[in-house]
Amino acid sequence: MEAEAKPGFPGRERRRLRLRASRLAQYLLVQLLIVAACIFALRRSLPEPPSSYLVSGFSLKEGGAERSVTLPHYTSSRFSLNDPPLYTGHFTWSSRETERAWSVYLPRFSNGVEVAVNGVAILDSRRDPVANRPDRSVPEIAVIPASLLHDGANDLTIRLFVWGPLTGFLESAYVGPDDILRRYYEQRTLVFVTLPVMFSAWQAILAVILTIMWVMRRHEPAYGILAAAMALGVAQAFLPTAVDPSQYSRVNAVLITSAPIEAAFVLTFGILFLGGRWPRYGLLIFAPGLLLVAVALIGEQALTSELFVLVGVPAIGLFLVLLALIVAQSVVKRQDLASFLLGCAATIVLTCWAHDLLSVLQIIPDDRIFVARLSYSAMLVAIGAGLTWRFARALNRVDSFAGRLVTQVRQAEDKLKASFAREEERARAAALALERTRLMRDLHDGLGGQLVSIVALSERGDAGAGIGDAARAALKDLRLVIDSMDDIGGDLMLALGSWRDRAAAQLRPHEIALDWRVATPQGLPVHPELRPWHVIQIVRLLDEAVTNAVKHAGAQRVTVSIETLTDPAGSAYGRITVEDDGKGFVLTPEGEASGGKRAARGLRNMRNRAARCGVELELTSGAGGTRVRLTLPQKFPDSDTAGA
Amino acid sequence: MTDLSDERASQAITVLLVEDDAPTLWRLQDALTKAGFQVTAAATLAEARASLTKGGPKVLLTDLQLPDGHGIELIRETRQRFPETEIMVISILGDEESVISAITVGATGYLLKDAFPTDIAATVRDLVAGHSPISASIARFIVRRTQKHPEPPPGPPLDTVKLTPREIDILWGIAKGFSYAEIAEHLGLSRQTVPGHIKNIYRKLEVHTRGEAVFEALQQGLIKL
Repeated sequence: MEAEAKPGFPGRERRRLRLRASRLAQYLLVQLLIVAACIFALRRSLPEPPSSYLVSGFSLKEGGAERSVTLPHYTSSRFSLNDPPLYTGHFTWSSRETERAWSVYLPRFSNGVEVAVNGVAILDSRRDPVANRPDRSVPEIAVIPASLLHDGANDLTIRLFVWGPLTGFLESAYVGPDDILRRYYEQRTLVFVTLPVMFSAWQAILAVILTIMWVMRRHEPAYGILAAAMALGVAQAFLPTAVDPSQYSRVNAVLITSAPIEAAFVLTFGILFLGGRWPRYGLLIFAPGLLLVAVALIGEQALTSELFVLVGVPAIGLFLVLLALIVAQSVVKRQDLASFLLGCAATIVLTCWAHDLLSVLQIIPDDRIFVARLSYSAMLVAIGAGLTWRFARALNRVDSFAGRLVTQVRQAEDKLKASFAREEERARAAALALERTRLMRDLHDGLGGQLVSIVALSERGDAGAGIGDAARAALKDLRLVIDSMDDIGGDLMLALGSWRDRAAAQLRPHEIALDWRVATPQGLPVHPELRPWHVIQIVRLLDEAVTNAVKHAGAQRVTVSIETLTDPAGSAYGRITVEDDGKGFVLTPEGEASGGKRAARGLRNMRNRAARCGVELELTSGAGGTRVRLTLPQKFPDSDTAGA
Repeated sequence: MTDLSDERASQAITVLLVEDDAPTLWRLQDALTKAGFQVTAAATLAEARASLTKGGPKVLLTDLQLPDGHGIELIRETRQRFPETEIMVISILGDEESVISAITVGATGYLLKDAFPTDIAATVRDLVAGHSPISASIARFIVRRTQKHPEPPPGPPLDTVKLTPREIDILWGIAKGFSYAEIAEHLGLSRQTVPGHIKNIYRKLEVHTRGEAVFEALQQGLIKL
């Protein structure tokens, strides 16, 4: 456990320690229960055939000496290939039994047996590679050919071959009807042969999956290491022990003695997978395994076997203990399912390993049934489950991350939309404000003044024509403002068309004729940049010219001429001329009208308006009448600078 | 024509004048009565309908905003019951918002409320004589609608599909302030045929029945099925 003593929070620290202690206690209790369950399961003996078929009394010829023994029997020698111990026993067969085949059944022996009935060999277990593995508790059965049997006592001889690393062992021998004995044989085969093959297949699949995972995720070496462990395990399971020396025997020996390396790999995986720090001398855990491999490559087979028992088996046990400790620490720290499963598996394997060790040392009478390798499958199941659990959890995390991302993107989008809408709203508000300012100025220039003048006239009492004229002028101006806001597509002629209607209506009561002359059907050039306020200024200029003709000139006829001219550069521009045949007025040298203050102000107004929209205003007046000439610009100004 | 013959010509001409603002009503009534028209005044939709039960007038002049309803209703009813009646809208501004919708139910042009009395009488007389006046701003609105726009333009719905290119040319001329004579000259027409074309334009803009109105709306994409 990590010692994180934070001096600032003694209370919290104590509470955390207590929590961890209680977790550890719970975990240990569970492991104890598992150990108890394992011991209970291991103590239960495997089913045996009826004892009536048991051949119990044997005479053993070993090293020249002959003595009487009862099975189970352990030999003293660890190597007896040259002069194997010979067990001779007897069984009774009756000729009434010819209907049923009889068999010899050997539940457990090590390392190999040759069985003969009445001097004829019927079984040599050394031909069965699986049976040659001393760590597998493989049974053997052989049918006795009926011709070998005769009424009464028959001889059963068993030659026991021992090639280490353990002493020879013969548990028991049954001779009886094949249909009865085979049942027990099948049960043992299922547990000690078929199941390991299944587990090895599972291990092979796991190795492939883990290799793929490691290839795709190089930054997680834990998977690669576990894949290596699995691959080693598979190789060990399927490679036969070489009894006879062959060219591959050394390779086989290396692989078979690789169990400590496999255990070291599993331990490494445990450290990396559970997020522990890699210890400085961590690679030392591979030392026992590598030593064994080296010996297997150069040394004698017997030496290899000796070393395996002396170094390999304890190393495996040590690694299992270390793994159990690491997993326990992880369980206490993280409380996650993967570590818990791995911990339980480690406990099971450790218990079985201890059982096997005690069995080898003959401390417990267990007929030399080895279960460590079998229990390793528990570990495999745990690793498979743990990995799947982690994988599913990672997928869930990815999902929730993706979900969060989608939410965040949506939020950002909404924010963006909102700010865009705000910006649009702001731009609209600004445009509206600008439009309002212009409209206000337009209304102020015309309608406002006229309404004020109506108020003034009505207060003076002499209502009459004055009010009517002012009110009519106000309405006319209102119509002008509304009209000029219409989209005319830059064609000033469209604005002049409605102005003609209004001017004619204004002139008619005064019996002044309006002469409208348009030089070409097109009239004026089209100005795409033309804006309502340009139109208002131009129409007001024309209005003032007409109003002057009505009020001051005493004219009979007003002529409006519209033409398009071409300047020397070849570009077209428009010109509007308003002429009357009235009495005219005299202009001062400064260009001011001499007809009093009001006229002067009117003229100044007209000049202002013309300047604001880039129109050139030309005023001539004389005895023959007044002429106002507006020369339009080729391009109307963009902003209302002069009038600002 | 002398004033006397004007008066005689106007003798048989009955005018139903619908206007809720009393001073405006008096003003228009005076102008028309002095010109010799036989004027019946109504201040509300109900009064106008009551008057219509006695028979159709030669001319209907109506305001649009009435205290008990909309002048558009009155125009549509009158148009259906008395096809011979000439109808005009009385408007303050002569804006397309009110005038165009009145045209689509059968009105022919508009009369400004502040027009001079002589102009009022002259406009009604021209109307009776078969001259349908059309102002430059209304002509402008109509021709702008004949131009294709990706979006439906603002303002009242108006179907210009039935207008011929010649009629559209005439409207362009009016919108730009040309006189009938000038338009006739530009387009190579006889001056006398222009008022007939304008009358046709009015009739083509009219939406006759409810079903037709729906059809027109579909044509213009105003309604989607």
